[in-house]
Amino acid sequence: MTQADMSQDTRPATEKSFPNPYEIATPPGAEGWEEMYSYHNRFLETRRAEDSQKTWFRNSLHFPEVSYPFDHALIDGSFTGTGVTNTRVFALPPALGLDVRVINGYTYMSTLPAPDEETQARRAEEFSQRAGYYFQNWDTLYKEWESRVTAAIRAVVDIEVPELSEFEPIEKVLEDRGPTQGNLFLAGYHRLVEAGDQIWTLHSEFLNLGYAAYLQFLTLCKDHFPEIDDQTVSRMVSGIDVLLFRPDDELRNLARLAEELGVSDAIKSATSEEELNTALEPEEAGRTWLAALEEAKDPWFNFSYGSGMYHSHRSWIDDMSLPIRAIGDYIDQLRAGDDLTRPLDRLQAERDEIVDRYRELLDEDDRPVFDEALGLARTVFPYVENHNFYVEHWFLTGFWNKVREFSAKFVEWGFWDDVEDIFFLRRAEVEEAVYDLQMAWGAGGTAQGGYYWPAIIQRRREIYQALDAWTPPPALGPVPGDVSEPLTIMLWGITPETVDRWLKAQDGGSSSTVLEGFAGSPGVTEGRARVVLRPDELDTVQDGEILVAPVTSPSWTPVFGRIRGAVSDIGGIMCHAAIVSREYELPAVVGVGFGTSNIKTGQLIRVDGDAGTVTILEEQK
Amino acid sequence: MSRYVCPFAELGAGDRESVGGKCASLGEMVNAGLPVPDGFAVTVEAFEDFRDASDLRTELQTLVQSMQEARPQQLQQAHEQAVELILHRPLPEEMERQISEAYTTLVQNTAQRRGLSEADAVKIPVAVRSSATDEDGDAASFAGQQETFLWVSGADAVLEKIRECWASLYTPQAISYRASMDATEGALASRISVAVQLMADADVAGVTFTVSPTTGDRSVIAINASYGLGQSVVSGEVTPDEYWISKIGPTIKESRIADKAQEYVPNSDGTGIELRDVDAERRSQACLSDDEVIQLAEIAVAVEKHYGTPQDIEWALERNADGTNNVMLLQSRPETNWKKRKDEQATRKKEPNATTGLISYVSSASKGA
Repeated sequence: MTQADMSQDTRPATEKSFPNPYEIATPPGAEGWEEMYSYHNRFLETRRAEDSQKTWFRNSLHFPEVSYPFDHALIDGSFTGTGVTNTRVFALPPALGLDVRVINGYTYMSTLPAPDEETQARRAEEFSQRAGYYFQNWDTLYKEWESRVTAAIRAVVDIEVPELSEFEPIEKVLEDRGPTQGNLFLAGYHRLVEAGDQIWTLHSEFLNLGYAAYLQFLTLCKDHFPEIDDQTVSRMVSGIDVLLFRPDDELRNLARLAEELGVSDAIKSATSEEELNTALEPEEAGRTWLAALEEAKDPWFNFSYGSGMYHSHRSWIDDMSLPIRAIGDYIDQLRAGDDLTRPLDRLQAERDEIVDRYRELLDEDDRPVFDEALGLARTVFPYVENHNFYVEHWFLTGFWNKVREFSAKFVEWGFWDDVEDIFFLRRAEVEEAVYDLQMAWGAGGTAQGGYYWPAIIQRRREIYQALDAWTPPPALGPVPGDVSEPLTIMLWGITPETVDRWLKAQDGGSSSTVLEGFAGSPGVTEGRARVVLRPDELDTVQDGEILVAPVTSPSWTPVFGRIRGAVSDIGGIMCHAAIVSREYELPAVVGVGFGTSNIKTGQLIRVDGDAGTVTILEEQK
Repeated sequence: MSRYVCPFAELGAGDRESVGGKCASLGEMVNAGLPVPDGFAVTVEAFEDFRDASDLRTELQTLVQSMQEARPQQLQQAHEQAVELILHRPLPEEMERQISEAYTTLVQNTAQRRGLSEADAVKIPVAVRSSATDEDGDAASFAGQQETFLWVSGADAVLEKIRECWASLYTPQAISYRASMDATEGALASRISVAVQLMADADVAGVTFTVSPTTGDRSVIAINASYGLGQSVVSGEVTPDEYWISKIGPTIKESRIADKAQEYVPNSDGTGIELRDVDAERRSQACLSDDEVIQLAEIAVAVEKHYGTPQDIEWALERNADGTNNVMLLQSRPETNWKKRKDEQATRKKEPNATTGLISYVSSASKGA
């Protein structure tokens, strides 16, 4: 998540606009969806005059799906983190945070207007002192941050959900006489909510400073080389060895170890962790391999199948099907003679070569500034690339599972039937249920929850399905006058061209067989499309297909070994699909907008990663 | 260097005064190891001595100076008179000997290299071109210092075309341009050298910019190319193919293939060139293969590297029967517009907006200011 300053100006006298948020109809069957979200996330009738004047972009990069009521607490947290960091912590002079609203379950955002000149000047003084300290002590502060974030992750995992046993333990009565399990249940829930809140301040701590430093280098490159493409600039800066590749590396190592230990065939025939254990436990070699697997799992399998922002996406550690299949694929590749090493040296040499070649073309006077900007960008970039593993994957995997632990207790006490049901309650509603449970357990009676929540959960499940079937517009409100703010372009792939494309699509939809996006990774390829709308459809991807997805997650990396190219609806050149495709030397077009709605599984398509176009060549066989 | 001729291999950028810009530049390229068709310069001194050997200098000077505020018809008459004088006044014997000898050496060495008989040597065609001493290309053009004759063979023909290059200083336009100059200025403006160079029998020819002509981006190479000799591209008679290449690699960024309706080829009697229609099949095909584009880009990078500043290069590509090819550079000039474009860009970028604002804050914070 980051902050972006999207202009609020409207084009004068333009007839075109995106739908007015106040005129959007509720999809049939979703009546009453508003109660799933807090009042502060809604378009309030009393604020109509203000809110319908602003442009709202759908944040489909981070929040592509309908939000579950509980999950929305984390979405709020992420916006709070970026807002507070810009506004209050570093006092970024020209930018504040974003307003956040939900329409029919989908998240939209709008930039707050930039502060006036006088305020900016005041903020600049603060910023210089605060950000300056970070830039100058970046590596030390980053190391310290790593230990703080790791501590935050451990703290969530360590939260104890009290048993709510028949009697308080005897020691409690005879010795420490502290709070009861009922008190601790509430305290534990509070600690969980606090952790889910504070993680976002940690998440954003370095992020916008990092992007700003990257942007400084990007702008410098564009000044000297107006025709340079963004991916070339990102290649000059980005790290070769980043945490997001580490889980995939662990799978490669496990494949190698399996071959060494001679346990590959047992692994290849397994499809679940249970089958793995059954097959491998009996033999010493098998147990050695299982121990290595356990070792790799923490933390590297805390790797979400999605963005991490939805409880429903789950992680490798919860569902081992993808890693097990990937290890099998890697075993096959080893047997075919591939040594599975990532060409780190070659990538590093290529990166240095690109830098040298551009540097050579600069006038001598311009080189020191170039070196300085590149140096700063490279200093900050490990954070930009790695924070995502720590927060969205490792922390959130632990967070969602801890919520499930609390939910299990409610299931035990008859509040609802399924552990997953808790996510249909808002954060504040869960707190109410905690009080209900605390009172019932304390008194020895029956909680009200079991009489109250099941019907609500059932209704919300229906609403969720109705909302899920609805297609949210990419933007709401007036057409923005100009989208020139580079963070917006870089992170969300929102440019004046995308805005035009959205408008065109809105006027009758694009029936064209050629879709345009960003050139994410070079090369041209043709193949059958495989549309994957959700992480759980990932195992349908066949060898040699072209992956078409709304957005891809780093945890899908092993699948990239199987595909011929990638297309994503969302994302600029720094998005995951682009980065991994470049690593795998696969052509990719990202930020296509309507790829998943225009392309059908089985169609023959051409992905031109040089021109940034996708062409539908032939209907499915 | 003898007084009247000098092989390109003995010339460099510093010899502009004595052999004009084109010859000096060709010499510079030969010495940088760049592929340039072999040849020699007929020095500035040659035309000077030719005029001084008789009363020609005075006659021409009087003729030009009498044309102040002349009418077009008078200018035309003066032009015809000057050409008549230059084409028919005998050449000093020594001058004629040196030029003929230089030409014979050139074609015989070439014949030997190509495995041709001595008798066939005189059939090897050359180009005869003006080599202006004027720094300013526009003025040179105005002053008639940019004549070119292609497909010339035989010593007599070469001598005749050298005279025609000299005579090109006296077009009606050029006479009018110099008429109001005093004697010293007039003498300076009528110094000219001539290049005699092996003909490149181009299958494809064109122009390469080692900087983007649209944005001034120095990492970009732009190639314009069309079939046949380069005239069609330089003169704008055909819309050429455009190839856009990134120097980093180099890799082709974009190819825009045009409909190339016509091409210049040597005419059938081997004494000049003619414009003919390109057959339908080839017209809309790319005139260069990807490999050739990269090859041209690599050469362009070498040329730019040699001069240290962006270049505008004329080249020709000959395809051989065995599938190989020869690229030949005909001319390389500094491309001067890029700096201007870069400055314009910088001014535009400096207009404050959200991005520049943020960046200047970051930049000063990162320096601890």
